[in-house]
Amino acid sequence: MRRAGLILAKDLRVLRRSPLLLAAAVGYPLVVAVLVALVGAYAGTKPRVALVDEAGLPPALQVGDRVFRIKPAIDRAGREVHIVRLTNEEARHQLDTGRVVAIVRVPHGFVSDLRAMVRSPKLELETSPSPFSGRIVREVQAFVYALNRELQGAYIGSNLEYVNLLQRGGKGTFLGRDFDVLGLGRTDRLLAAEPQTPAVVSVRKFVRAARLALAQTGDALRATANPIALVHVPERGRTWAFSAQVQAYALTLTVGLLALLLAAGSLAAERDENVIGRLPATLGELVTAKVALGAVVAGLLGTAMALAFGIVIETAAVRGGEPWQRIPLVTLGLVLAGASLGALGCLVAALARDARTALLAAVALALPLAFVAVVPADAVRVAGAIGSLFPVVHALRFFSAALYDVSPWRTLAAEAAWLVAITAALWALARVAARRLLV
Amino acid sequence: MTALLAARGATRRFGDHVALHPTDLEVQAGDAVALVGPNGAGKSTLLALLAGSLPPSAGSVERAQGASVGWAPQRAGLYGRLTPRENLELFARLADEPDPPARATALLEALGLRDDARPSGVLSVGQRQRLNLALALLGDPDILLADEPTAALDDQARERFWELAAGRRAAGGAVVFATQAGDEPARYATRVLGLEEGRLV
Repeated sequence: MRRAGLILAKDLRVLRRSPLLLAAAVGYPLVVAVLVALVGAYAGTKPRVALVDEAGLPPALQVGDRVFRIKPAIDRAGREVHIVRLTNEEARHQLDTGRVVAIVRVPHGFVSDLRAMVRSPKLELETSPSPFSGRIVREVQAFVYALNRELQGAYIGSNLEYVNLLQRGGKGTFLGRDFDVLGLGRTDRLLAAEPQTPAVVSVRKFVRAARLALAQTGDALRATANPIALVHVPERGRTWAFSAQVQAYALTLTVGLLALLLAAGSLAAERDENVIGRLPATLGELVTAKVALGAVVAGLLGTAMALAFGIVIETAAVRGGEPWQRIPLVTLGLVLAGASLGALGCLVAALARDARTALLAAVALALPLAFVAVVPADAVRVAGAIGSLFPVVHALRFFSAALYDVSPWRTLAAEAAWLVAITAALWALARVAARRLLV
Repeated sequence: MTALLAARGATRRFGDHVALHPTDLEVQAGDAVALVGPNGAGKSTLLALLAGSLPPSAGSVERAQGASVGWAPQRAGLYGRLTPRENLELFARLADEPDPPARATALLEALGLRDDARPSGVLSVGQRQRLNLALALLGDPDILLADEPTAALDDQARERFWELAAGRRAAGGAVVFATQAGDEPARYATRVLGLEEGRLV
């Protein structure tokens, strides 16, 4: 370990003397982290959904006595999806080519069912077989839910017209037929003019009770239509740019790539400088030194990033900011993640042998690793299974738990164990493969 | 007499190419063995095997118990971003030398190297070769293995190196070196071994 420490000190000294290399090593992963964050933001944008109108939706629809304007209703309901009106043929083509992620078809008879209010009109949803179809179905379900709420409003309004008619009396229309209703109010007034026999008194009592009950109908109808209402309270907690999730991604990708590239480059550089054969240190000590280099640099740089993040949160008075309490946990995660990615870098260097190839291979490896880190494991299961064998996913889970969870200990222990085990396995593989560096 | 260093059937292949056919060689205390032969004959491969920096594909290399080896490869093996002193002190510490700064100072003087802040990577080829040899002499090795040690040196530095090599022999050690310089085997070697196409001839 003493020799590994000496080689580590040498590497840190060399790193300090290479400002351009250090800037590139820090800058490149930062750029990648920003790009991934942008991709993540893009992933959160609206999916494009085709609307095929076979029913010939009119601009406005008469629902009872009320006018239901379809286009503004679709616009309001489609906040989470981007609705494009297409012909059936065009929609099928765009679904096949991936230009749209789903087709919502309004079939023949939809409008008449909607007008009649006797049975539920049906929309048809067609998706392509993709890992994201589950999300698309949920988005379209949300769209239909929002549309239903708009219609419920119109239906309830229409039904209340009938209730009002029952209360006040007057002319109305139902299923195209005109009718005239006396109404409870006028009935009460007529009965008041009659002799107050027990029968009349009894009927008047019923009329007053019915008027009271019907006065509550509006609220009751709304409550029945929406047993649970979701109220959105906006602007609470951190904005997305300062969220713990963004911080976890930024730390994982930046520090992960840095540790991977540094360990790979510095181990291969030992061979390029022709010192491995004469160095009074074993290959195991050399690999340990490079793993430690990844851990130390990741710990230092990552903690600096976390501190900078905290300072921004404090100075910008971002709500929900508790930037300092979790830094020791984050630093522990950074060291563990840096070590395991350093071990991976050592394996890459041992297989690649020279520094240029090792760095190229490390960059090539970093991209799919970043991919498996940002794609949720349940979205692409194969990627999730492969990703769990590499350190990045566990580092991300560690940072997420350290930054998010109220009680993170169970997750932290599990992910730390994963990182330690992966580091040990990669170290052993790198140690065996490092014999290639002697040739 | 026990050999300080011995190759027993030592062989080295690189893929299908046999760089060194099975080779037997014993180096005794006081020996100065010169390896001569054309380019690609296997001199560097044999020296790397003897130094332990390259594992043999077959056979073995044995070293007398407690015997230490100093190795100067043909292409200087050193850290280009460290100064000569930093290189020497790092290697001395790794080799558990008792007083690395003092040892570094002594070797810088012995090889005529300037003790300044210039990194080794910007030194001239000759200066880098002096540092390469200084690193091989760290720890006063019993066996000094050097691959074309004087190829880039001026006359004064050559003489200095051979004096230091003679000192190793006089202290009960041995020197094995590869050379293309015509007069060096005759002047400095006690034995001359020729190599051709990976075989001792």
